[in-house]
Amino acid sequence: MKEPPLFQHIYMRKFAFHFLISIGLFACGTQTTERSFDSTLLTKASPEQVEQLVEDFILAEDSSTIEIPEGFYELNTQLILDNKSAIRIKGAGMDKTVLSFRNLKSGGEGVKIVGNQISIEDLSIEDAPGDGIKAQHTDGITFRRINVTWTNGDKSKNGTYAIYPVQCKNVLIDECIASHSKDAGIYVGQSENIVVKNSLAFGNVAGIEIENSDNAEVFGNTARDNAGGILVFNLPGLPKSDGKGTKIYDNDIIDNNHKNFAVPIGEDPNGNTVTMIPPGSGIVLLAAKEVEIYNNRILRNKTYGVAIASYQVTGFPAEAPNWSPYTSDVFVHDNQYERKSFSIPDFTREMGQLVTVHNAHGILKTQDIIYDGIWDKSISETIDSNPMRICIQESGMENLRFTRFYLMDGEENIQSFKDHELFQNCKVNVQTNVSGIAFLNSAPIQ
Amino acid sequence: MKPTTLTLRDLLLASLVAIALLGSCQSEKAEEQTDQSKSGQRALAPEEATGQYPYRRLSTYGFFEGEMAQLDPSEKLIPYQPASSLFTDYAMKSRFVMIPEGEKAQLVEDEIELPKGSILVKNFYYPEDYRKPEGDRRIIETRLMIHEEKGWQSYPYIWNEEQTDAVLKIVGGETEVRFIDKNGKDQVINYLVPNKNQCKSCHNKNEALAPIGIQPKHLNNDLKYDSGTENQLAHWTKLGKLEGFTGKDNHPSVINYEDHSQALDDRAMAYLDINCSHCHRAEGPASTSGLFLTFDQKDPMKLGINKAPVAAGKGSGKFKFDIVPGHGEQSILTYRMNSTEVGIAMPEIGRTTIHAEGVELIKEWINQMK
Repeated sequence: MKEPPLFQHIYMRKFAFHFLISIGLFACGTQTTERSFDSTLLTKASPEQVEQLVEDFILAEDSSTIEIPEGFYELNTQLILDNKSAIRIKGAGMDKTVLSFRNLKSGGEGVKIVGNQISIEDLSIEDAPGDGIKAQHTDGITFRRINVTWTNGDKSKNGTYAIYPVQCKNVLIDECIASHSKDAGIYVGQSENIVVKNSLAFGNVAGIEIENSDNAEVFGNTARDNAGGILVFNLPGLPKSDGKGTKIYDNDIIDNNHKNFAVPIGEDPNGNTVTMIPPGSGIVLLAAKEVEIYNNRILRNKTYGVAIASYQVTGFPAEAPNWSPYTSDVFVHDNQYERKSFSIPDFTREMGQLVTVHNAHGILKTQDIIYDGIWDKSISETIDSNPMRICIQESGMENLRFTRFYLMDGEENIQSFKDHELFQNCKVNVQTNVSGIAFLNSAPIQ
Repeated sequence: MKPTTLTLRDLLLASLVAIALLGSCQSEKAEEQTDQSKSGQRALAPEEATGQYPYRRLSTYGFFEGEMAQLDPSEKLIPYQPASSLFTDYAMKSRFVMIPEGEKAQLVEDEIELPKGSILVKNFYYPEDYRKPEGDRRIIETRLMIHEEKGWQSYPYIWNEEQTDAVLKIVGGETEVRFIDKNGKDQVINYLVPNKNQCKSCHNKNEALAPIGIQPKHLNNDLKYDSGTENQLAHWTKLGKLEGFTGKDNHPSVINYEDHSQALDDRAMAYLDINCSHCHRAEGPASTSGLFLTFDQKDPMKLGINKAPVAAGKGSGKFKFDIVPGHGEQSILTYRMNSTEVGIAMPEIGRTTIHAEGVELIKEWINQMK
């Protein structure tokens, strides 16, 4: 299994500290509270040091560095960097500098960043009641080697997003770790020009999610042990009304069979779309536009490897200005698939039940690729012309389990087909250009 | 406070003072080590009104005449009061604006632009007994917003136990407040003073710090002055401090949501406007959600009707939509208003208790929707 280099590093050096608190097997999915290292062994920062840190964020001057020395910082207020430019926030290492928001009494996120050319590096953020770190309205935001997690045994208490850039431009997430969030570990929303690379997302409901965003590349990551590995969504009614252009390549999308703990066990999904994701989901496209998925290892996800779906499957109102509920222009090719042996698809979520019961290969069979087969009838009367331009070119396609559903005549009339041939003889040219993010890659601004 | 007999409360206050002093001693020590100019020792030293803001002590500004705790404004200050008030843990507020000598505010396109050098002074206090709100009180903090050369800046000042002065504390703070509520019940609140940058969680317009209450829609109504009752904007105009006000009917006006004689719809929208719309509007930080709650919002989806949440996480509870018409109890809006859990509670900062009256109002409003 490929992990980011730094994570390997921590594994080696901190092997003694690395432990699995518990891995339980549940009927509806596995569950993990694995920790990358034990932050309780760090020396606690004094109240004065904590206050100093809060003040450093408030008083930061443009073009400066905020150094956060080794230690365990227990914060009871938010760390907010507001409208600053060219700031580097630097810890002593993911396993050395830990910002704990367990005692935060108000505020939507632990760390909040607004500005231009900001980087945050080499630290951990733990136990924020809402989101871990949020960056908004920032042009040029780099998250490098930061680890954002929750340490609660009871994961229902965990926060929403771990790493959360929203309404940003030029976003780089590199060698980060995001784990145990109740929604997405790495969530990029309503942004443009995005690179998520060499990062690890595990134990979340969703590993990595790109939502209502343009021009994103997601590569070299490991998304494992989430309920869903990598998601590309477009939701209705947002200021950034739709998004397009995402490439997902060279990722390990493995064993995403964690139970979906976004709502308590036994409770129905709520209005958050992620609550509907069935455990055992590799990649999910929902109302996505222009997506290319290639050279990934999509292994042992018990429900399906790749799901191509339109927003109508959520059952929510599917109309909004400048937004389309259909997933269109998708190119899936040259990925490696492996079905988990001795396992059955999820049946706790509707999409899981659909696969379990209605797939084209026989009840209880894990699928490699599913397509909900919902198309825009104003383009074509039938799906035979592939009106939404869904293109699939996988080697050994005949050995993969592909199901196209027909869902457009209600729940009583669900049909399924193995007709991958319909989607096999085309390509989609997905354009992304993230060269502008290269400068974020170089040595940080001083 | 009249120190006649030593009550349990006095003892408690005394111990709080002791704890506070202990805390400040520690921070003074840290300052010596780090040579930082913060609160503590330096704040207690005399300070001159140099015109270089911010001052360390509230008293240096000379806003108040006589005993500070009376909050008796000097002539430079104009009292103001938005029609509806943001809920902050039942704290009462007294607000003043200082517009520099010889300068005027401009009312343009439903916005009030205050000149550079203007200062907003907002005092947060708790009466000991809400059945006698004019009686003894404890002032917790005074927040200043100063319109500096580089834009608005916010500065929180925390009052001392003796109620003789307040000291700038940019990292915020936390204090226990006790009072008797309007039903005669003892209440204890863990009051949070925001850190300087948290102020912008609410005071945020296109990522610039901006006043909330100083908008025509909030001030286009009557207020009782020493000189008699008058429309606030008309009063400013008469004082020669405002230009552009052309009469009450020519400018928007939000009602007071506490005024039960008004239509439910208007009261609910007034409530959402003052409590939510500083974030939930196109220019606010919660624009990410697509939920826009200004008083004049007419688009059902932007208002949250049958709208699925976006990034609400556990804030969604068991519910599918922000507003489910006819079902206040199944709407995410009321669910989040009715929680104190960080991550669920809305607004995200500014309260640690539930505003029961507000929850009731919004529930009632949603219940009668079809």
